[in-house]
Amino acid sequence: MDLLSLRDVSKSYGAAPVLRGASLAIAPGEIHALMGENGAGKSTLIKILAGVVAPDDAVIEVDGQAVTIDDPAAAHRLGLRFIHQEVNVVPALSVAENIFIGRRYPRRAALLVDWRRLEAVARDTLAKLGITHIHPRMPVGRLSLGDRMLVRISSAFLSEADAPARLYVMDEPTAALTTEEAERLFAVLREIRLSGNSVLYVSHRIDEVMALCDRATVLRDGRSIDSGRLAEITHNDLVAMMIGRRVEEAYPLRLAAPQKGVALSARDLGARGLGPVSFDVRKGEVLGIAGLEGARQRELLRVLFGDLAARSGTMLLGGQPYRPRSPNDAWRSGIAYVPRERRSEGLVISRPIFENITLAQLGSQSLAGIWLTPRREQRFATALGAEVRLKARGPRQRALELSGGNQQKVVFAKALSCEPRLLLLDEPTRGVDVGAKFDIYTIIRGMTAKGMAVILVSSDLPELIGMCDRIAIMRDGNITDIVQAEGLQEDELINRCYGCIGAAA
Amino acid sequence: MTAVPSSLRRYGTLIGFAAILLVFWVNLPDTFMTARNWLNITQQLSMLMVVAAGMTIVMVMGDFDLSVGSMASLAGIVAATLLAAGYPIWAAVGIALLVGLLGGAFNGVLVSLIGILPFVATLATLTIFSGAAFILSGGKTISGRAIPEAFGNFARGGIPLGEIGGVAVTLPNLTIVATLTVFVIWVLLEQTTFGRRLYAMGGNMEAAHLSGIAVRRLKLAAFALTGLSAALAGIMYASRVASANPTQGSGLMLNAIAAVFLGMTMSEHNEPRVLGTILGVLILGVLDNGLTQMSVDSYTRQILVGLIIVLAVAISSFSQGRR
Repeated sequence: MDLLSLRDVSKSYGAAPVLRGASLAIAPGEIHALMGENGAGKSTLIKILAGVVAPDDAVIEVDGQAVTIDDPAAAHRLGLRFIHQEVNVVPALSVAENIFIGRRYPRRAALLVDWRRLEAVARDTLAKLGITHIHPRMPVGRLSLGDRMLVRISSAFLSEADAPARLYVMDEPTAALTTEEAERLFAVLREIRLSGNSVLYVSHRIDEVMALCDRATVLRDGRSIDSGRLAEITHNDLVAMMIGRRVEEAYPLRLAAPQKGVALSARDLGARGLGPVSFDVRKGEVLGIAGLEGARQRELLRVLFGDLAARSGTMLLGGQPYRPRSPNDAWRSGIAYVPRERRSEGLVISRPIFENITLAQLGSQSLAGIWLTPRREQRFATALGAEVRLKARGPRQRALELSGGNQQKVVFAKALSCEPRLLLLDEPTRGVDVGAKFDIYTIIRGMTAKGMAVILVSSDLPELIGMCDRIAIMRDGNITDIVQAEGLQEDELINRCYGCIGAAA
Repeated sequence: MTAVPSSLRRYGTLIGFAAILLVFWVNLPDTFMTARNWLNITQQLSMLMVVAAGMTIVMVMGDFDLSVGSMASLAGIVAATLLAAGYPIWAAVGIALLVGLLGGAFNGVLVSLIGILPFVATLATLTIFSGAAFILSGGKTISGRAIPEAFGNFARGGIPLGEIGGVAVTLPNLTIVATLTVFVIWVLLEQTTFGRRLYAMGGNMEAAHLSGIAVRRLKLAAFALTGLSAALAGIMYASRVASANPTQGSGLMLNAIAAVFLGMTMSEHNEPRVLGTILGVLILGVLDNGLTQMSVDSYTRQILVGLIIVLAVAISSFSQGRR
């Protein structure tokens, strides 16, 4: 019998159907993936489970008994626990206190908190999940994002007599985690599976789902597809279920080889915690930057973009000395930047699409740099939007109404607005669905064929190997090695990032 | 979010305003809905319009300027002091405006270059400007023969519009000045790259910075303009009463912020916009005017105006949806 089963779930917002008879069945002791492109209805389904959104139609059963989930409290009583991407913890309190959050602390005498018991129970809970590296007395504010998430899971795991946790729903939990943190999380989720409870794991990352989950439910256009046992299907089968067609190649083919000419050349470039580093990017080349979290890849991009002052070294851009003192200098020199955090760095989310796209080019998209010409701007933005295959109602639609993939395309369109000769990308496909990802890769291929150079910082190793011509390895602010991407194996790249294969090789 | 509450959010304030107008019209059939009364209202409101429109500039970036009231007082005192010392009117007015520009720029330096929170920085300059006004004036009202007649006559004058219903009606000079100022600020915020950039900064400072916008310089300029408009309002007030005292601008700041908030409840995406601000000013002014005519005492008026602001903003934030 399924732990949880949803059948014939339908939900429309106004005239727009989001879910049309979707189903989801989760067995006990299972890690079940929920997949689908942005807009496929994943978040609506989750909200229905959480009792936040009322379905138009649905049959919901827990252990074979029909139930209704009218509000979040009902979801909680049924043993459903939701662990959000933005982890809700109280940084100033200890790990043990956070595990007990929202509950009565154990008492001693009538009034005093029994701190020893609190700590012991917390330690015990962590141990049951195989978490040994977090001390219960540590303030949560000092933990990494991944460890905070583990604390939240432990808190949900701490059994409550009246409503024990049965199903943990996790929405894109690894989006902001490092590889190591993600591995720890997976180990904990496997412990949960061993205990007979289940996990609903929402993710874009196909490799992750294939490695971790037992089964998947794929949503497409509001309908659901049961993948069956993931062990019996391939990566490409799963992609085909998501986008409705087969993709033979995850990365579009190169249209042209990199040119001879150098786009940017850096020599002994240094800033706080960075360098000195030296490297060249050729025209039409994609230079990848690989490295562990915190190897200062971001700082390198910010120096190139003029947002972080270089303390030493020189740069030549197209043979001319290049010394940017602000992002504005970089834009004007033909260097564009797609920052890591789309919402907090890339977009003015409350403003229309066209205002976002022209924001870096207002000087040239206006009369005399002063008077706005909205119609001209909208034409310009529409043209760039078409170039990046943006799906939107029109240039006046606000960015916040778009899916993650389309928001990222708006950021790309802004970057392309200056006709860049060098494009700096920081995790450009994070949190972007498969279809939009492929579009973004296609844009990069098209631009490099015209001679634009790209520096691509990514923690997605297949992406680096698939998209780059050469990959620079960064460690502790230095480039330790630059290797050809072709034929490179992922494990070799990881070893190089950890420094196992040094400069001697 | 469904269609009905979102239109209630946007138009609720306007519908409420219409209802208030109706109540006054019914209760004051002879005096309220007359051209004369309305021109009188716009004249009374002209200072607040200028300050509130100026306040909108910094609020677009998500900031505040608490010092506008004391800047208005200071500018009035500066102008009156210079007039009393025999300076020609153009010089006295020009120097008073310059004081506003520089005082506003000082706010801008504190906020954008030094990085002090606008609330704290402008609270500090509020007392600094106020103190300066007291020192310059010796704490007394500057009035009487020290002020040239032409200066006071300006505010009393206007353009005759002929007779409406047998009553001679003039368009007051102060209303004209306020309208022009509001127009200039509207053009600045809605039609120029400067305004677009300010709105972008208000939406996401970091994204604006990374898009090559010189955010510090623009922030400084925005505060300078807000200071300038406050100074203009102070000079207008001094002309209207043909005198200046160091507390004359004290009511302006709260009302200006309230007007911007009221205006935000009427804008499509809850943003500060100049035209919304001016509607906000009108609502506050008409309420005051009607209630005064209905002989409601000033303390009760204050309570009612406060309640209406809370109600408008509450309806707006409530129907925006709680996520």
